Amino acid sequence: MSTDSPEKIIDRSAKLVFSFFISSAGLWLLIAALFAYLAAAKLTDPFFLSTCEYLTYGKIKVSQANAFVYGWGGNSIFAVSIWILARLSQAEVRGSIFLVFAGFIWNIAITFGVLGILDGHMSGHEMLEMPTEVWPAMLISYLIITFLILVVHRSRQIRETIAPQWFILAALLWFPALFLIAWNGMELNPARGTLQTVLSMWYGQSLIWLWLTPIALGAAYYLIPAILGRTIDKYYLAIFGFWCIAALAPWSVVHHLEGGPVPMWIPAIGTVMSIAMVFPIAVASTNFHATAFMDIGKVWSSLPLRFVIFGTLSYTVSSYIGVVFSLPAVAKITQFTIINEFHFNQRVYGFFSMIIFGAVYYALPQITNREIPKSAKSFHFWTSTFGVLLLLLAYLIGGLTHGVLAGQPSLPWSSSVIQSIQPYFIITKVAFVILAFSQLVFVVNVWRVIFPNPVECLNNLKKEASV
Amino acid sequence: MNNLAKFIAGIFMTLGIAWLAFVVGARGQYGDLAPTSSVLEEDGSIPADADLYPIALSGVAQQGAKEYASLGCVTCHTQQVRRVETGFDVERGWGLRPSAPRDYVLQEHVLLGNSRIGPDLANLGLREYSEEWLHQHLFEPQSLIPSSLCPPSPFLYDSVDEPASSDLSISGEDPEVVRHIRPTIRAKRLVAYLQSLKQDYELPEVSFIEKEVEEGDQEVVAEVIDTDDSSKAPQWLQDQIDHGKEVYMKAATGGGMCFTCHQTNGEGIAGQFPPLAGSDWVLGNKERLIKISMYGLMGEIEVNGVKYNNVMAPPGIPPGSLTDEQIANVLTYIRNDWGNSASAVSPEEVATVRASLKGRAPMQMFTSAELSSPVQ
Repeated sequence: MSTDSPEKIIDRSAKLVFSFFISSAGLWLLIAALFAYLAAAKLTDPFFLSTCEYLTYGKIKVSQANAFVYGWGGNSIFAVSIWILARLSQAEVRGSIFLVFAGFIWNIAITFGVLGILDGHMSGHEMLEMPTEVWPAMLISYLIITFLILVVHRSRQIRETIAPQWFILAALLWFPALFLIAWNGMELNPARGTLQTVLSMWYGQSLIWLWLTPIALGAAYYLIPAILGRTIDKYYLAIFGFWCIAALAPWSVVHHLEGGPVPMWIPAIGTVMSIAMVFPIAVASTNFHATAFMDIGKVWSSLPLRFVIFGTLSYTVSSYIGVVFSLPAVAKITQFTIINEFHFNQRVYGFFSMIIFGAVYYALPQITNREIPKSAKSFHFWTSTFGVLLLLLAYLIGGLTHGVLAGQPSLPWSSSVIQSIQPYFIITKVAFVILAFSQLVFVVNVWRVIFPNPVECLNNLKKEASV
Repeated sequence: MNNLAKFIAGIFMTLGIAWLAFVVGARGQYGDLAPTSSVLEEDGSIPADADLYPIALSGVAQQGAKEYASLGCVTCHTQQVRRVETGFDVERGWGLRPSAPRDYVLQEHVLLGNSRIGPDLANLGLREYSEEWLHQHLFEPQSLIPSSLCPPSPFLYDSVDEPASSDLSISGEDPEVVRHIRPTIRAKRLVAYLQSLKQDYELPEVSFIEKEVEEGDQEVVAEVIDTDDSSKAPQWLQDQIDHGKEVYMKAATGGGMCFTCHQTNGEGIAGQFPPLAGSDWVLGNKERLIKISMYGLMGEIEVNGVKYNNVMAPPGIPPGSLTDEQIANVLTYIRNDWGNSASAVSPEEVATVRASLKGRAPMQMFTSAELSSPVQ
């Protein structure tokens, strides 16, 4: 015991929690992949499973988004945050049993939430579709987990904090604030008319910008220097980037309401702030890419880092595209088209998930002392990359076609406009099959390391229980 | 940054300012909007006996709104007509005017939506779809619009073997196979809700968008018709043409509303609605015209060598309601205006065709293939 390095001790304390959260996250990822395939298949053949009321296109699509963001996103955020903050604090994870218990509640709440959606109890407000009955359980379990993560951070050995800590802590704390605001405005003290839409739009988009995004950025700020063994280039900019995101992102997200029945200042502010977002985007991509390109060979040879750099590149590209699409002249064409799907998938898959994959591949072998075969990781990387690029390209080109044709009032809607984007739906179906396969490989990789031998694992548990 | 309390205060402050604007501020600005009249008095008060808009949904429509939300219709359908400078919605005929925040104040759950794989539904109730059409569309959209991606909802209907008069008959591509369905209470609620979707009133803050081009067209047409030297036509023919024109132009109960698609000048809209002026269909076989006037037409057709693929619901308000005489008049009119000149259609001819189609389910639109096959 005494010979173990401090890192080993920390890793051991995080093992149970990390394994629990990341294996649950994997299950949610597979569930989301199944939903994504079903939804894409229904768009190419409307009669597919049409007699089953639980599986209408609308329900499946929404379930997929919720399973992906809260199930995969939530669980993987817990896993990665705990481990990175414990490492940076040089403090052990305590209260593992409470963390796992709260994690169970979180997962059960989302399970019931998704089942509730399929059973027809959805509200129809973006990212708030799960029945309100599960909201308290989600919030309470989330607060328990966040509290215990904060305890780890508070017991840190070095008082100075660095960029990964800011991003991860801020994201962890922003979520409950956003959730409470949405809960208040939707349920406890419901807003009237289109105020509901302003609120749900603000919440749904902020969830991506203030929860998923900072976690992934924080993980990248941690992983790139850790793997490359060099400091972040122009690190002094990071603090500027952080506060820019904190100050601008919550304003920029409402530009999607352009032209709608809301006061005009709301989308106008959103557009201005979206354009201002070029500063934090530039900071993050300078920090990441200037550092990574100093040693590009190492980036390529380290699979975790390859995932992370794919994610950061994707972040840069998608964010700049997001800025362009928020300009009123462009938004006039792209608004309400399947470009929305491009944005969502680019953010949650091309950026967030890819960085999480990298973080897991980096952390898991250290935590469990077992290596994941390089070929398996590599296979996962290439199928993911190919699947994501295919998916995004289809949504991007399809979305532009959709927008341009929709803008010509003489073209009939379904026989002309929608018919023309049908081929892109077929491509997305193929892409989702590839991605589902790739995600299965990821989950198998993770589970094989966590549960190398299920029978032995059970026996060990029994022994531990009897002791 | 190193003091956790200060850090937390900082990140909540940045979030809090946005919250103050979008949640608290917006609520303060228009959280208390209430129904009002279309026109206000000069002092800004509501006239004493004015109707107030928006109107609350009926109970059954409110139930339907819940079905709409629970089935996830909002995933593909928006319910908002954008301002003219930010979108094509009014041009596309999805509304008479842009939607305003006030339109939504009486709705329990506001489902504006942000994706349009299906068309906007903010004014679906204005589009003169009959209850039967909407039911058939919910049951199987592809039986009405073959290219539709809208998922069928057969679980909202009971299929029945012995149809009652209120049941619907649906035939697919094979006209021999007719299915009889009975809407469940949920389907009825949903249809009531869909029919209630209309922003057909003006508000002090927003008025109807005038379609200037179309009005211009109407005037020109009126002039042409006025100066037409129609005295050569015998009186009975002139009467038929005049009555037919009324049917053609009338967009209220008992009318044909033909001009909304084929335009007042009979030119149709390129790529979308075929022209009647100089059309080989209009000047040709009368029986075919009569059939279309009773049952509508769907699928691909070729008019003067140009292909069209659209749906013509059975003409009339409500659809399929034109009488033999009205059909005879309106067909005579379209065969004798805009430079067309062809023989008149008599009510007796219409009656004969109607008798020959006895047993055909109401609202069952014809297809081009069906019409071109030899008449039994």
